Amino acid sequence: MTDPRATQLIDEAMKMRLSRRSVMRRASALGISAGALGGVLAATGHAKAAPKAAVFIQERVMNTLAATYFVPEGQTFFTQVAEDWASQNGVTITTDYIGWPDLQPRIAAAVEGGSGPDVIEMWDIWPYLYQEKMVPVQELAEKVSEQYGGFYEWVTKTASVDGQWYSIPHGSSSSAFAYRISLLEEAGIEDPKNNFPKTWEELFTLGKTLKEMGKPIGQALGQSLGDPPSFAYPYMWAYGGMEVEEDGTTPAINKPEFVEALQAFTQTWKDAFDETGLSWDDGANNRAFLSDQISMTLNGSSVYLAAVAAKAGESTLDYEVQVDPDDIWHAGYPEGPAGRYNVLGSRSYAAMNYSPNADAAVEFLDYFFSPEIFLPWLESQGGYIIPMAPGYADDEMYTGNPALAPYPEVSDYSRNRGYAGPANQKAAESSARYVVVNTFAQAIQSGDAAGAVGQAEAQLRRIYG
Amino acid sequence: MFTSCLTVGAWESLMSVVTAKAEPDPGQQTAGRARARFWDREAPLAYLFMIPGLLILLLFMGYPFFLGIYLSLTDKMVGFADFSFVGLENYQLLLDDPVFHRTVANTLIYSFVTVPFKLVLGLGLALVLNQTFRFSRFVRAGLLLPWIVPTAISSLAWLMLFDSVLSPVSWVLKDWGVIQSNINFLGDRWNAISAICVANVWRGLPFFAISILAGLQAVAPELHEAAALDGANAWQRFVAVTLPTIRNIILITTLFSIIFTFSDFQLIYVLTKGGPASSTHVFGTYAYQTMGFSALGQAAAIALSMLPFLAIFAAILLREIRKED
Repeated sequence: MTDPRATQLIDEAMKMRLSRRSVMRRASALGISAGALGGVLAATGHAKAAPKAAVFIQERVMNTLAATYFVPEGQTFFTQVAEDWASQNGVTITTDYIGWPDLQPRIAAAVEGGSGPDVIEMWDIWPYLYQEKMVPVQELAEKVSEQYGGFYEWVTKTASVDGQWYSIPHGSSSSAFAYRISLLEEAGIEDPKNNFPKTWEELFTLGKTLKEMGKPIGQALGQSLGDPPSFAYPYMWAYGGMEVEEDGTTPAINKPEFVEALQAFTQTWKDAFDETGLSWDDGANNRAFLSDQISMTLNGSSVYLAAVAAKAGESTLDYEVQVDPDDIWHAGYPEGPAGRYNVLGSRSYAAMNYSPNADAAVEFLDYFFSPEIFLPWLESQGGYIIPMAPGYADDEMYTGNPALAPYPEVSDYSRNRGYAGPANQKAAESSARYVVVNTFAQAIQSGDAAGAVGQAEAQLRRIYG
Repeated sequence: MFTSCLTVGAWESLMSVVTAKAEPDPGQQTAGRARARFWDREAPLAYLFMIPGLLILLLFMGYPFFLGIYLSLTDKMVGFADFSFVGLENYQLLLDDPVFHRTVANTLIYSFVTVPFKLVLGLGLALVLNQTFRFSRFVRAGLLLPWIVPTAISSLAWLMLFDSVLSPVSWVLKDWGVIQSNINFLGDRWNAISAICVANVWRGLPFFAISILAGLQAVAPELHEAAALDGANAWQRFVAVTLPTIRNIILITTLFSIIFTFSDFQLIYVLTKGGPASSTHVFGTYAYQTMGFSALGQAAAIALSMLPFLAIFAAILLREIRKED
């Protein structure tokens, strides 16, 4: 062995009785090559583990890409997990988080360019779009599924590509109505915790009173991935509209019941909603709710968790939270004549096959989804993410706080984008074009529901036809 | 001259060496003369100097441009290796696409509505800045700020001003009792287009002001003095002396501004992302959104639809520049 750094490391290791991991870390810091490290490990009695370590000990730089977390603790936790794994394996890792609407174009650019993040968070049915550039992870997905009691059907339907796994699902944020107990009481609702309106019509009637009180319902209807579709798809389904029939090709949005309901909604928007909602993205309704501008909004549990953090003096927001978490309660979706629905698709993590570190990326996924890492990651977000499998559905984070009870329940009455057809590439295109969301926004702007639905039908015919 | 330092003998020996070297056989002499003639001509030199720039243009502009044209004639999807040639189908689809129709209208509105404001305000500002006053240089430098601050950053500042919840404008007006609820800056098509235009005028104003200011400083003071002696008042001097002198600068600045505005992306993307209901898309944002869901061929067709418009603007611009020459 001629490398003086290696000789120095052997001396240190022998004197200080360094563990194999410490030797590897030190070797990485000293810039010792994998070959020389083998010698060091042999000389210090750690040679047995050398072959596996050598795979990852080379100087590797990896990058992960995910959507910004609405519960910042989860983001910090993920970063820490990635860095811990990286330091254990001699890898340098960077973790990027970007705004929700920017995620898909960024992925598209990486996929088309054939270079970019090694690990990417996919949303919902995106694996249908990018499967050719994702590493097949069937074995790992099956292992994870087994570990957690089998993936939910809504997860398999949305995150796998016709049952084939190219990414490992981790669940999804879900939506429920977050509302102010005191304001609903003021509006005449007795015991608001147990008497939230059961139908959309009842909800809108209440909304009119709330708006007269100066605290309207707040609903995001801008071009954004989270809250706008979380309202538009379920409302459409509740009144019998669908993107397509079961055949997956015939547009089914132009149903008289839905057109009529949408026409009524254009007036309700003026009477019961905060009308600036047409420009809101996924964060604007949180700001409006926490700034005491609205009485309720359809959202993940992040508004409640932000209020809890603010009360504890740990707010990470750049504006003042004016709502007490004890005044916040949640309720599931109301129902319409055609039923009660919400839209749900699982997010997942993929290792990209253009990456020179594809093997290491899969190893990272294996590490991340191990119960000792994944469960604390879910916990760090206080139940904001509902898991992909029932393994931890009974965990205290989901059952311990009755204020958050409606969130895990949404998986009982969910549908996929593209319903009544399958979740597939066409449903992904329709979703990315915001066809359903924009039908609502356009109807509100023009006051002509039939015209907006007619345009949406034409667009859907082009996409699905 | 260094030759004066040499002795006559040394000079002669030196010349003999030089002459011996400089007098090759007749064939070489002809070639040398040809080379000299070649370097004497301007055209080859011009081409030679242009080659690096041309190569860069071909590599970084030409290649993507022609690739874009090719992709726009295919059904290429991001991430999928297989695709086929579909001719003009992507363009035909755009003709039937109501969002694309709005996109074209928005881009034209955005480009042509903002320019008169930028021109008039920029001209006024330039006339003020052309005067010498205390800290005038400082003010001139400061004027450039909106133009040199990265657009993405200044757009974020505008986004905060137009925020539906926390907009300071809404809060102040509510506090004064002028309005009851927050202004819907970006949630209505025409409000949003107006907001985008205001932000664009703010950003583009310095370009006009500084360009026109440069022109104003080139106006010879003697012309103004002569006109004043002839009895012309300030307005007449402005119309008869100043305006004709800066006419070309105004024209070229205007055309450049139209081209920049026409192909804008950042401001609109940050403020509205093309919403609400895809009602504020311009070519750039609509192509970007289309690329987001993988339809690369269609996205290329949208982006390239700018080409005829930009080609017309560029032709007019080049003609004016030549005229100036």
